[in-house]
Amino acid sequence: MEISVLDWLEVSSKKYANKVAFSDENDSITFGRLRRYAQSIGGAIADKDGGKSPVAVFSGRNIMTVAAFLGVVYSGRCYAPLDSKLPVTRIRQILETLSASLIVTDRENLDFVLNLGYDENSIIVIEDAVSSEPDIEKLSSVRRFATEDDPLYIIFTSGSTGKPKGVMTSHRSLMCYIDAYMRVMKISENDVLGNQSPLDYIAAVRDIYLPLLTGCSTVIIPKVYFSSPAGLFDFMNERKITSVGWSVSGLTVLTALGVFKHGKPQYLKKICFSGSVMPGKCLKEWQENLPDAMFVNQYGPTEATASCTYYIVNEKVSDDTVLPIGLPYRNYRVFLLSEDNKAVPVGGEGEICVSGPILALGYYNDPERTAASFIQNPLNHSYRELIYKTGDIGVMRPDGILEFHGRKDRQIKHLGHRVELDEVELAAGRTKGVGECAAVYDSEKEIIWLFYTGEASVKEIAIQMRKDLPGFMIPRKMKKLEAIPRLPNGKIDNGALKNLTE
Amino acid sequence: MREQLMEILEELRPDVDFENEKQLITDGILESFDIVALVGELCDAFDIELHVEDLVPDNFNSVEGMIELIEKLQDE
Repeated sequence: MEISVLDWLEVSSKKYANKVAFSDENDSITFGRLRRYAQSIGGAIADKDGGKSPVAVFSGRNIMTVAAFLGVVYSGRCYAPLDSKLPVTRIRQILETLSASLIVTDRENLDFVLNLGYDENSIIVIEDAVSSEPDIEKLSSVRRFATEDDPLYIIFTSGSTGKPKGVMTSHRSLMCYIDAYMRVMKISENDVLGNQSPLDYIAAVRDIYLPLLTGCSTVIIPKVYFSSPAGLFDFMNERKITSVGWSVSGLTVLTALGVFKHGKPQYLKKICFSGSVMPGKCLKEWQENLPDAMFVNQYGPTEATASCTYYIVNEKVSDDTVLPIGLPYRNYRVFLLSEDNKAVPVGGEGEICVSGPILALGYYNDPERTAASFIQNPLNHSYRELIYKTGDIGVMRPDGILEFHGRKDRQIKHLGHRVELDEVELAAGRTKGVGECAAVYDSEKEIIWLFYTGEASVKEIAIQMRKDLPGFMIPRKMKKLEAIPRLPNGKIDNGALKNLTE
Repeated sequence: MREQLMEILEELRPDVDFENEKQLITDGILESFDIVALVGELCDAFDIELHVEDLVPDNFNSVEGMIELIEKLQDE
């Protein structure tokens, strides 16, 4: 039985030793070399200290980042990928949560990491590490004690208290998801995946680990093609990309920019999209341009290894089509709970809950929020069964297909990312001269609005917020009000605010 | 035209120093969703039609590049 992603890597690196596993705009790396580089990086980490704490990785959008992740895994530790373009205060907050004693970085980010206060003894530079011979004996003694529930990675997501949550996922959970996704999307060694997701983001795990399991290869598509897409399809055709797993906003941005006027991705046959609700208008355009391609709607939170359910789109969609979220992936248990924690009959609304081996290990160094979110299944009084309550509302159709009916709290899905409106308000409120503020989301136009009172200017708020939050969380529209509208009971009148966005 | 363009850009991203940034796309200062919003605004404000071929970094890296592009499209 395979218990580690390294088991996959070792099989594929023998079977496909000279085949390209990953490529980016300028470089490529074979399965054989990927393993060798990962072992060298793993050895360099193991030489530094014998600790087990997570290793933060700062590395660019290129093939060496994958070697760095797997290198951390070889050392027996888990990795936390971080983007050096995030605000420094947020990075420090995350490093503190991780108690990160070791950093793996590429040369480009080295100065940045040194400026964070780490010294040479606690930094591994990827380009230097790969030039050394790996200490295979040391690495195998680490491997001897690996278990399948060892943590693999920690990925951070927005938290409503203003502190990001580090979702920690085990080898087993990740392997269950990758295997289930492979079956739905029928990924084989003949596929070429086109990676869109930033490598530090949850959606990238498919692009990173499917090659290890199936022998397919992944092309890391340069980011600039998603904002100036004239060359995107030419690039995809040149690399013969057959399958993509992209965020809904990745697809909608491209259609909004008129990308199909320029051509088609002629080898693309399988498209999975996730992250938010797919507008019928956008999917219709993709279907019309790629009539033979398979389209799959995926739903699920990071806490369940990025996934819960999938829906294969068999119908021709129209502008008003709202897709269901479908059936559970293999090895996933998905069900609904009512507000008083009872089972929900077919056709009724309830909170979507998930359990099974794909459940995350919890939020790193955060027992309180872990205990609140990962709970004993209230329907099971006989043995221990943890579930994760997603906060999403669903309805089970008589045919067993699940529909998505929105959120029960103030979390939104914006441009493929989870955003807590509470966290947006907290950050805006830190600006000098802001009295009250309230954030609302216009999901149709994909715009976060901020309404506020006080003397601060829009520019001052935007600059302050960018110190704390990633770019996608900054409200696109801000408006100063005399007072925030409230209901008779004192609560903020969201309906009145929504009217102001029109 | 420059004034009108600056107004649009300031509204879009009040935190960016558009006078001095010359690598807005190449350095990833403007994200893909900024470009989508910007394209819509430019088409409305300057009565032009932007094609996917126009969406290359050179045309959007700086205010000067954008002005050149708008002028070219207005002549067409």
